[in-house]
Amino acid sequence: MALSKIDVANMLTGATPVANGGTALTSGFQNGVDPRPSTVPIIQNGDMAVSQRATSVTGITDDGYKLCDRWYEYLSSLGTYTFAQEAQTSGNAFNNGFRKAFRIDCTTADASPGASDEFWWGIKLEGQDLQLIKKGTSNAQKLTLAFWVKSNKTGVGQVNFRDTDNSRMCSGTYTISSANTWEHKIINIAADTTGAFTNDNAESLQIQWYLDSGSNYEGGATPTAWEADSAGDRNASGNLNIGDNTANDWSITGIQLEVGEFTSSTLPPFQHESFGDNLARCQRYFETTFEVGTAIGASTSTGIIRSGGNQGGRTSGRMGHGFTYPVPKRSAPTVVFYDNSGNSGALARLDQGSSTASNKNATLAGGSQKSFEVTSTGDSTADCLNYHFTADAEL
Amino acid sequence: MIIEKVKKINNSEGEFINHYLVNDKYNVPKDEANRDYQSILAWVADGNTIQEAD
Repeated sequence: MALSKIDVANMLTGATPVANGGTALTSGFQNGVDPRPSTVPIIQNGDMAVSQRATSVTGITDDGYKLCDRWYEYLSSLGTYTFAQEAQTSGNAFNNGFRKAFRIDCTTADASPGASDEFWWGIKLEGQDLQLIKKGTSNAQKLTLAFWVKSNKTGVGQVNFRDTDNSRMCSGTYTISSANTWEHKIINIAADTTGAFTNDNAESLQIQWYLDSGSNYEGGATPTAWEADSAGDRNASGNLNIGDNTANDWSITGIQLEVGEFTSSTLPPFQHESFGDNLARCQRYFETTFEVGTAIGASTSTGIIRSGGNQGGRTSGRMGHGFTYPVPKRSAPTVVFYDNSGNSGALARLDQGSSTASNKNATLAGGSQKSFEVTSTGDSTADCLNYHFTADAEL
Repeated sequence: MIIEKVKKINNSEGEFINHYLVNDKYNVPKDEANRDYQSILAWVADGNTIQEAD
């Protein structure tokens, strides 16, 4: 688009230039300078685009990493749920560039949770990636969390920042004003001059969206200043109670964490990454050979690794294969092998590229952050190995 | 992960490779940064015993 008018006066004075006499840029950018201290988003997969494990999971009753990469849920005796990576085709989140969301649907309700029951959704972050916050120093920075959220329920949700190195927490709340409508929320988090994040690859910070809880996590007060971790404060203000009815759902996308204090009018834009860059950052924590959209452990040869063959020719003896991860893992991962028929702890011995003997023992011979070697002990005559794997180094 | 059994993994020379086989499925490294190894430590603290390799 050509400019018919260039606001030279404002550019020279450092004020925000106005193109074509239109609306000035009102984001956090000042004089064309990105206020962010990092070049990539602090949070991985905030747009929910990457979901290597599955695109839909039913019958969820426990905690874990079930769906979109990096996003974790803690669930303890508080209903049953379906998670889905939901495609967006309209609405405010879609109109702001988000094509996928993490959707939670309650399928078995628990309207009277026990005191210690809880359900929260969120992310765990490495301490070495959070040093830019300068937490625990006199230069500690404020934070801003922004996200799109939608639910059939209106009400207040609580979000907690829990420093797991120093057992401290600070929280904020958001209000869903209109049911079934994507709304953009911004939460400011105070700076903390106490308790530095450990500079390593272990977990230092949890960001928790509380969805429901028993009385042990209620009754306190939402801390808007950092304090010693207190169970009764974690869902002190939240009243969404997503587990209380099977009609309930809650969806989220477009999550960004910024260093500094921003408002809706000064918030820098979401940093969209290419799918490849996003996937690579997620693969630091999880990787699989199963194709996106294929369940882990499915009976399929699509994406399967075929070793290069046995240099000694066909053999009924021991065979091995080494694999180097395209992205080194956060730490040495937990590795699971699968054969082409969906058997876990197994691989297939392939003879001359045609005869496949499945469900043969797969033994790890070594593993690190960067690679593993799998071996097959003596068995059917073969000249190469076939296997899928998952490698999990999540926090 | 609900742990039912844990067994050491040895190489073909009979040396421990710093990994454990959990539930005949999960190859878990002996690395405290790994959350599954943290679960093994908790399982052992509860009085359970890691089996020697075959």
